[in-house]
Amino acid sequence: MSPEADKKNWVGKSLPRKEENRLLRGRGKFSDDIKLREMLYLRFIRSPYAHAKIVSIDVSGAEALPGVVCALTGTEVAQQTQPFIEIGPDPFAKIKDYPLAVSKVRYQGEPLAAVVAESPALADDAAELVQVDYDPLDPVVDAENALTNKSILHEEAGTNLVWNGIFEYGDVEEAFRDAAYVVKVDHLHFHRFSSTPLENNVVIAQWNPKDERIYYQCNNSFPSFAIQFLAAHLGVHIDRIRVETSDIGGSFGIKITSYPQMAVCALASRKAGGRPVKWVETRSEHITSSAHGNERTFRDTRVALDKNGVITAITSRHIDDCGAYPRYEPLGCVIWSQVFPGVYRFKNARIDFSQAVTNKCPVGPNRGYSRMQHLWFLERVVDICAYELDIPADEMRLRNYIRPDEFPYTTPNGCVYDSGDYPKMMQLAKDLIGWDDWKTKQVIARKEGRLIGIGIGTTLDSGTNNFGQSQIVNPFLPYSGNSQGANCKLDIYGEVVVAVGSCPQGQGHETTAAQVVADVLNIHPDLITVRTGFDTERNVHTGFSGTYASQFAVSGLSAVHGAAQKLKAEMKRLAAFALETNEDDLEFGTGAQGPETRAKSTGKSINYWGLANLVNANSAALPPELYELTLNCRYIWRAPFKVPDTKKKYGSLTLTYAAQLHMAVVEVDCDTYIPRILDYVAVDDCGTVINPPIVEGQVYGATAHGIGAALMENCVYDAVGNMLTSTFSDYIPITAVNMPNVKYGHIETPSPHSYSGAKGMGEGGAAPIHTISAALQDALFASGIVIDDSFNNADSLFRALTAKEISQADKLVKVEKRV
Amino acid sequence: MAIKFGGEFEVKRTPEEVYDFLTDPKKFAPLLPDFQSMTVQDATHFKVKVNVGISYIKGAADVRMELTQADRPKRAQYKGNGRVSGGNVSLTAGFDLSPSDSGTKVAWQGEAQVFGGLASVAGGLLEPLGKKNLQKLIDGLQTALQ
Repeated sequence: MSPEADKKNWVGKSLPRKEENRLLRGRGKFSDDIKLREMLYLRFIRSPYAHAKIVSIDVSGAEALPGVVCALTGTEVAQQTQPFIEIGPDPFAKIKDYPLAVSKVRYQGEPLAAVVAESPALADDAAELVQVDYDPLDPVVDAENALTNKSILHEEAGTNLVWNGIFEYGDVEEAFRDAAYVVKVDHLHFHRFSSTPLENNVVIAQWNPKDERIYYQCNNSFPSFAIQFLAAHLGVHIDRIRVETSDIGGSFGIKITSYPQMAVCALASRKAGGRPVKWVETRSEHITSSAHGNERTFRDTRVALDKNGVITAITSRHIDDCGAYPRYEPLGCVIWSQVFPGVYRFKNARIDFSQAVTNKCPVGPNRGYSRMQHLWFLERVVDICAYELDIPADEMRLRNYIRPDEFPYTTPNGCVYDSGDYPKMMQLAKDLIGWDDWKTKQVIARKEGRLIGIGIGTTLDSGTNNFGQSQIVNPFLPYSGNSQGANCKLDIYGEVVVAVGSCPQGQGHETTAAQVVADVLNIHPDLITVRTGFDTERNVHTGFSGTYASQFAVSGLSAVHGAAQKLKAEMKRLAAFALETNEDDLEFGTGAQGPETRAKSTGKSINYWGLANLVNANSAALPPELYELTLNCRYIWRAPFKVPDTKKKYGSLTLTYAAQLHMAVVEVDCDTYIPRILDYVAVDDCGTVINPPIVEGQVYGATAHGIGAALMENCVYDAVGNMLTSTFSDYIPITAVNMPNVKYGHIETPSPHSYSGAKGMGEGGAAPIHTISAALQDALFASGIVIDDSFNNADSLFRALTAKEISQADKLVKVEKRV
Repeated sequence: MAIKFGGEFEVKRTPEEVYDFLTDPKKFAPLLPDFQSMTVQDATHFKVKVNVGISYIKGAADVRMELTQADRPKRAQYKGNGRVSGGNVSLTAGFDLSPSDSGTKVAWQGEAQVFGGLASVAGGLLEPLGKKNLQKLIDGLQTALQ
């Protein structure tokens, strides 16, 4: 037996992932692997128009096809259900959002009918036979145009403005009065892109007519949120909805908003007499119709700076485009303010934030949700000011960063940044990339006429939301704080089994949860079974359970840790009785008969089977005072939040703040205008690292996603709302072929806000988008170009450099010098 | 995705003869490229079925046509709306007729609008294909009217 004194900490070790064994051998179980008896297959009929009235739908041809079981239309769904709950206040609370369009369609790809057949191919054929007559309406594809309300999407709301609020802190006017420089930026634009998980959305639903229970097997990544929407929509008690997830091939947030498709599958199952109905999303459906990230335009930005280039105030007007239906919105209208000042120290700011609906795919919480747009904006502002004032970009940041000795740092809007050391991250990144060498090479290259830029992107990954911020957008919402549940038990034969309310999509939750429990019980992680996926019937979830918003290391593992501590406490009481000693005399470890608890004074021990047997199968040996022990311990972890001040928009909105600092060297080819990454560094600080390879892997993933977004991935719509990038021919996801070699580094500034010092991570704050914009800025500023868009490819760079159509500094930026 | 086109040609017929030809679906519709069949509903409405082949999207399109302007012998305009695998197409084709030395000058204008996945999948091919097919139609008209 290993004495407790020799305990090895598993947290922090590079333990291979427990998941690899099945995933790398092709033995994972994904939703589409599930085959059920009498299963049917559903296909959606989707609108080719971005905005049109539905004149008629004729499904008779489809229903007459042999093998077709039933069809559903929006009208039928509306008769049987309630519209989905709206998160936002009036007037958008009045809109009628159904999973199938009822009287009009509002984006290309919107489903308006569904057919259900005995095979996927039959369902495809049947879908072709559905006849729909449309009366096209004027589409609105630009959020700023939408705000003119010339063409209204939702008549019940009477406006396209979903939400508006002013976030003002400090004394903005005084800061501008005292400024040495005022920099004005006419507009900046953060483009619309999405995620391309290997596995698209999949739903299997069975509405059992015997007990009116609905059983979902699916890959939704926020099931506790989905069931709240579904229960109200379908008119069933929430306990009658079971959601089970298994292995999930990536989500990046986009799979949070699959509840409309889940609703249709359940209704189709009911109509089909309770047979299970499966829907597997095609890639084009995913790109056009699942969810996109928020597009945002930044107008009329003014920046006040002192004589040293220190930013003292920022004002700006932000217009967010949430697509055709708010769904998860308008939460994004406040979530960005978790990182209100970014990594910078300015105290005075006023942001006028509006969100509009447009005839485009609804948005969803895409990796870095709502915050990356704002962080990109701040990084652009910092860089533009640096170039205009002729301050080196690194020096500009160092002058404006929150200093290491200022943590915990309270932002102007009341968020508390837990820890960080941004200058140290910058130095590490410089060392890794060879900053001075590249600066020398850049000078030589420029003399040769080459366009090479070196960019810095500093960003935050705020994790573990305070859902009380939802009350800033709608004071009537009943949500606040954050919680996560976990269960830790000794099974009847003494196996340690852990269940947690997350639904991992590649983040290694089974491994890290086992590491945490292994440390509590002083046993090897391989002796711990962590249940795969999420299941409402495990009864470990809370209203916030799922996997999103960079929080598992804090919320999930805190819950696991709490449950393990409770189990350990029960085991101690039981072992003290069995070994006839007191609890202080006990130590935990592994002996000849496996994991055990041992009395230090006598050397007697009892293994886990013995303990479990006492509770489960030998209970007559238990004294009554131990009857309350179950060795089946549920723990709910709750984040220590308060409800924010909704009027002042002030409060602690997030618990932890991981940081990323990336550097890139980018060259724009003078003949082809193709931007090419010559060197790349990603430095991460997510506090105490639970499992280094898992963290490193997620840094690479987030970096790849961001580089793809910066250079390749763009949801392009034409003037009538056709999405022109609906396949991988045009929406080009990044692959290993396009990835540069990324040099990875990390520092650890432990969080005082989590029990382990860990901070949530994985989203990466879209650092590459900021970084590549900065590098392009560095390469092109001398040519009179200001990078004003987050998406830059050869076409846009050609239009900027040669055609002079966009990004011209003299039209975008004005500087007022008062010194 | 909108495709606009236009042009003019002359034929050795009177404007009345040209107008009567253009507004007679039985004469006009078969000139449509890859015409398959037609059903006349009334004097101003008819349906045509045409073959469509754009890259790997192949099939038949049912197009409902309406004669929306009929000002004999000056102007005729058709509007059409069709469904094809991968999307919908709406089109407008107008013909302005004026007497010329040799007969009639026909000035034509058209616009086709594509909706749906077709616009993305076949986006780059649509404009040249549309122009090619339209030229076929115009050539056919000229031949028929000579």
